Amino acid sequence: MTDPTDFEKRTQEVLEDSVARLDGHTRSRLTQARHAALAQLEQPARYWWRSYVPAGAAAAVAVLAVVMWSDPSTQPPANPGEDLELLADSDAPDFVDDGDDLEFYEWAAGEVES
Amino acid sequence: MTAFVTLAGVYNTPVFGGERSRDQDLMTTSRALDQFLSTVEKRAFKIAQLGLRNDDDALDAVQDAMMKLVQSYAARPVEEWRPLFYRILANGIRDMQRRRTVRGRIMAWLPVRDAEDDEEFDPIAQAPSHDAGPAKRLELDEAIGVLETAVAALPPRQQQAFLLRNLEGLDVNETASAMGCSEGSVKTHYFRALENLRAKLGEVF
Repeated sequence: MTDPTDFEKRTQEVLEDSVARLDGHTRSRLTQARHAALAQLEQPARYWWRSYVPAGAAAAVAVLAVVMWSDPSTQPPANPGEDLELLADSDAPDFVDDGDDLEFYEWAAGEVES
Repeated sequence: MTAFVTLAGVYNTPVFGGERSRDQDLMTTSRALDQFLSTVEKRAFKIAQLGLRNDDDALDAVQDAMMKLVQSYAARPVEEWRPLFYRILANGIRDMQRRRTVRGRIMAWLPVRDAEDDEEFDPIAQAPSHDAGPAKRLELDEAIGVLETAVAALPPRQQQAFLLRNLEGLDVNETASAMGCSEGSVKTHYFRALENLRAKLGEVF
């Protein structure tokens, strides 16, 4: 039986040979892996608070929505059709119907021109 | 290992230190990491290969360990990188072994596909890396094959202790740190690994 120290040395030599004889494809992929890992250092620093920005924005929008929903001044009219009816009313203005007022306006206009 | 160097400054650059200083620190760290990783990557691959018995999985494990070391521990003192790297690698190998066990149970009843069908001829892969004589190469091939088979058959903790001590050259303290156990456990695992290997290889070696 081999002396323990010699045995350890022998196994070490064989393993080192095995490592030294790794094929080119494996060595190439290891180099690529190393470069990919090191490329992380060149990326701009990421600050911890940046990861909370989207969540914070979403929370702000939610709070704003709740506030606007609960504020009566920002509520839409209970019956939006009512305003529309007033605007679209086909009735003529009062002075058109009132013939006396119309004559008064024609006299007043003549006075101004003269 | 070179003189003790602390790279914490890379991440503690003063606010008014200027962009130039930060760039120089980053370059220093990058060079140191490149040197360190290029020193350990081939032996790390061999350790992963023996633990996982699959080249692609071994490469994935080594790349993951590199990524995690750079991501999380680049600012640590250089002297800590080696045990940290091997601890990350050991955890990665263990996780892959567990996933493989689960996957193996699921795949056991599915038809097996021959992986060699997917392999394309790669002239770089076929290139020999050393010009040893045919007889010497044959002898080495046999020795490597026998030893690697025996090491791969060791229980995981014994295998880990043996490879970290014997191949990577970590001392007992560093091995304990990399394995996440006491120095006494390392000595026990290493001793048993040697006994197992000697029993199998005594006549050959």
